[in-house]
Formats: sequence, structure tokens, C-alpha cells
Amino acid sequence: MSQSNTSVPAIRYRGAGVTYAGGVKALKGIDLDIPAGQFVVIVGSSGAGKSTLMRSVNGLIPLTEGTLEIAGQPMPDKPGRALRRLRADIGMVFQDFRLVKRLSVLDNVLIGRLAHVPTWRTITGLWPKAEVEIALEALERVGIVDKAYVKASQLSGGQQQRVGIARALAQRPKIILADEPVASLDPVTSHQVMQDLLRINRELGITTIVNLHFLDLARRYGQRIIGLRHGEMVYDGSGETVTDDQFREIYGRPPGDDDFLGGVA
Amino acid sequence: MIAPVRPKPRYAFWGGITLALVAMTAWSAKGVGVDFIGMVCNIGGGKRLLVESFPPDFGFLPRLFKPFLETLQIALIGSVIGGILAIPVAVLAARPVSPNGLVWFLDRNFMNVMRTLPDLFWAMLFATAVGFGPLAGALALTVFTVAVISKLFSESIEAIDTNLPEAICAAGGNWIEMVRFGALPQVWPQYASYLMYAFELNVRSSMVLGLVGAGGLGMILESQRSNFEYERVSLIILVVLVAVLAIEQLSGAIRRRLA
Repeated sequence: MSQSNTSVPAIRYRGAGVTYAGGVKALKGIDLDIPAGQFVVIVGSSGAGKSTLMRSVNGLIPLTEGTLEIAGQPMPDKPGRALRRLRADIGMVFQDFRLVKRLSVLDNVLIGRLAHVPTWRTITGLWPKAEVEIALEALERVGIVDKAYVKASQLSGGQQQRVGIARALAQRPKIILADEPVASLDPVTSHQVMQDLLRINRELGITTIVNLHFLDLARRYGQRIIGLRHGEMVYDGSGETVTDDQFREIYGRPPGDDDFLGGVA
Repeated sequence: MIAPVRPKPRYAFWGGITLALVAMTAWSAKGVGVDFIGMVCNIGGGKRLLVESFPPDFGFLPRLFKPFLETLQIALIGSVIGGILAIPVAVLAARPVSPNGLVWFLDRNFMNVMRTLPDLFWAMLFATAVGFGPLAGALALTVFTVAVISKLFSESIEAIDTNLPEAICAAGGNWIEMVRFGALPQVWPQYASYLMYAFELNVRSSMVLGLVGAGGLGMILESQRSNFEYERVSLIILVVLVAVLAIEQLSGAIRRRLA
């Protein structure tokens, strides 16, 4: 379900680029509008700039050229309160889950509430009841609320990734960024996680960007596919119509077995 | 089959190091006045001291009870307060989480100065401030503990996985939250073992501090030694030995459970 305000895109890049110290151009000349509520998959071989593009959305990697607007607001250009407030609205899911392994599942999901609770409460663990409710609700949505008081390190990879998604959801975000969310998972679990992300996108209308390197997953789940090669956008179209030739264009080589996850849905 | 190329042994390098070590040791021995003949001739003096120290005067044991508790109290206060103060000192001196280069630089140097000054110096300093006694000892050990733990702990924090702090920032966490959830959980087990190590050191140190009037067993040790009561001196040393071994066992058991 797209949100009603379609005139202002959730994310808008104009002439955007990132040049790392040392001169490596990770992104160049990106012009891109992502409407609110869209489910976008970014594909490209490693080093193509997928991660850089994704991390520019929440300012983990600042742009060095061009502009970026999130819901019509320009990206704050230095760290501080404004950037933290913006990040509070953007949930992020990682390939390696990035959970605090010594803490319980619930405590991990509560990290998604950091921006909404006074610091003295978060660091002492004195979370308001309402915040715990939000965290439990997020866990409910990914189907592992029964694990709330289990230590994060005791979960399987698929379960840990669901905690990662729940943490992002607990932020009540407008945008979810998922950076290779299934790269550490087996095929069956990969599909489950992708379906979770898609379902959340549909149910809550959260704009979702997913970096993937498996072509079949991209084709199957990408409402829209963006192809990056050497930091430039070389493809922008629907997942259903993307051809093997176009993948060849994106990857600079014919697709091989390693580019497909395979397995069942 | 292709034989792998065997690297040339570095005879000159290792030969040079060995030679340098031998030369330095000889030079030091001359400076200290190591005299093997004299040592053998005077061995009787050491023997007399050992004979006079044996057997330990166990009748003296009850009078050690209170000073022993005082030693433990001094060590405990120093370890707990010092251990807490060491956390921010360590965090600010650990590169991945330190807020900026200036803070890092100042804190690093602060830590180095603290560590360079010996515990006896701190004891004298606090003794002039609050008077001779257990409080001066406890304050000295607090500083000593901060010095020991902050150095070790900041090195642990430097070695953390920095991906987790990134995730905390991405969720909108501020600096304190990034440290609290992204960095510290990765190093709490190490912190616990440094804390217990510091406590072991402090029990030993509080003996030395006692010698300069900071209370506890050390003070009794000094008074008995100056009265040539070697049977009592040996008893005190025995008590400390047993206490330190017991603490080591205890902290080892706790550390195993934390790991």
C-alpha cells in the first residue's frame, strides 16, 4: 500500500556521488526517486556500490557530491541530533544480524527504541512499559515473541535475522534498509526472511530497500530493481521484466550458478 | 616436484640479539655488584633469618584478625571504586569509541602518567592530604586500580567488532548508547577478570602500603619486623600468601563461569 503523499518521494537523489578518501569513486551520478511504500531491490556484483548507496540513506556514509532528500528534507550534513532523529525513522537490517549477543532478544529489539527514550533509562535498562509493548509487538510480527527472554546468541541464524527485522520494526520506521539480509542464511530461511520483509512492506507501507546478489531472489521479490555497476545506475525497472541480458549488463558477465540461490519458495 | 624455497636463516640478526643480551646482562651485573663469592660466603646470614623465622608463631594469629580485615577492606574499596572510575577512562582512550582525537590523546596521556607513578607515591600523597591510615591506603589503591584496569580495558575495547556500534547508531542511538550497547557488552567478561586481577594486586599492595602507615597487615608487619619478631613476620607472610591464593582460586572460578 503506497502512502497517499506521492508527490514527495521517500528518497530523492540528485547527482549523488561518494568518493572515498583515497580517491575511489564508490557512487557517481545517481539520480533516483523512490516513492513512499515501494519495495526496491538493488543488485550488482560486490564492489558495485550497493552498500554505499544504502548507507548514504541513513548517513552512515555521507555523500561527497550531489544531494539527497528524505521525505523532502535534505540530509543533515554533519553528525548530531538532526541526523539521529532522521535515523530513528530508518530501520536497518544487516547481513551479519548485528545483535548484542549477550543480551536477550527483547533487549535487542528495544535498541530500536533508543531515540524515543531518555538516555538514563536506556543505559540502565529501565525501559518504560509502553516501549516494551512496542518491542513485543514487533517480535509478534516476525513470529518469535516466544523467544523474547532468550539470549540472542542462542538463536539460529534465521531467528537472529528476525530479531534484526523486529529491531528495525520497533523503530516504527518510514524506511527499512536491508543490506544483504539473506547472505548468511540457507535457501529456505532466505525465502522466509524475504517474505517477512515483503509482508511488512505490504502491511505497513514501509518503503523498503534490499541489497541482494541472488538474481532469482531479486526477480521474485523486487517490485522494482535497480542495477549498479562500478558505482553507476545501469538498470532501473520492474523485477518481472528484467532479462538475463540485462543482468549480464549489470554484472558485466553472463549470470552463473553462483548468482542463483535456488531452493524452494 | 618443485621444492619450496627455504628462506635464508637470519644468523646475523639472532646472533646480534644474543650478543646484545649477554653484554647488557654482564654490564648490569657489574653495576649491581653481583659477587658470587661474596654471596656464597654470606649465605649464613640468610640462613639465620630463615631459621629464626621458623616455626611461625601461630599464637599471634588472633591478633592478625582485625588488621587482616582492614587489609581486605582497603583492597576492596580501592578495587570497587577504582573499577567503576576506570570504565569512562578506558572508553575515552579506546580509538573505536573515543569521541574525538583530542579527548583520546589527553586521556591516553592521563592514563600513562597515572600508571607511571607507583602506588607508594599515591599513598604518600593521600597521607599528606587525609593523614596516615586506612583511608589514605584506600585512596591510593583506587588510583592504582584505575591505572591498571583502564589500560587493560581500553586495549580490550580497541579490539571490539566495530560493526555492532554502527548498528546502534543506525537505530538512532547517541554516543553513550553506542558505547553501552555496541561496545561494552562485547568486553564485560574481560572487564570482570581485570577487576578481579586488580583485587588480587590490591591485597598484595595494601601490605606494602601498610609499611608507610596506611593501616592493615602491613603496619603490623613493619612493627614486628623492627622488633626482630621473625616468627611473627613469617606468620604474617603466610597469612597473606594463603589469602592471595584463596582470592586467585575464587576469581578463577568466577571468571570461568562468566566466560
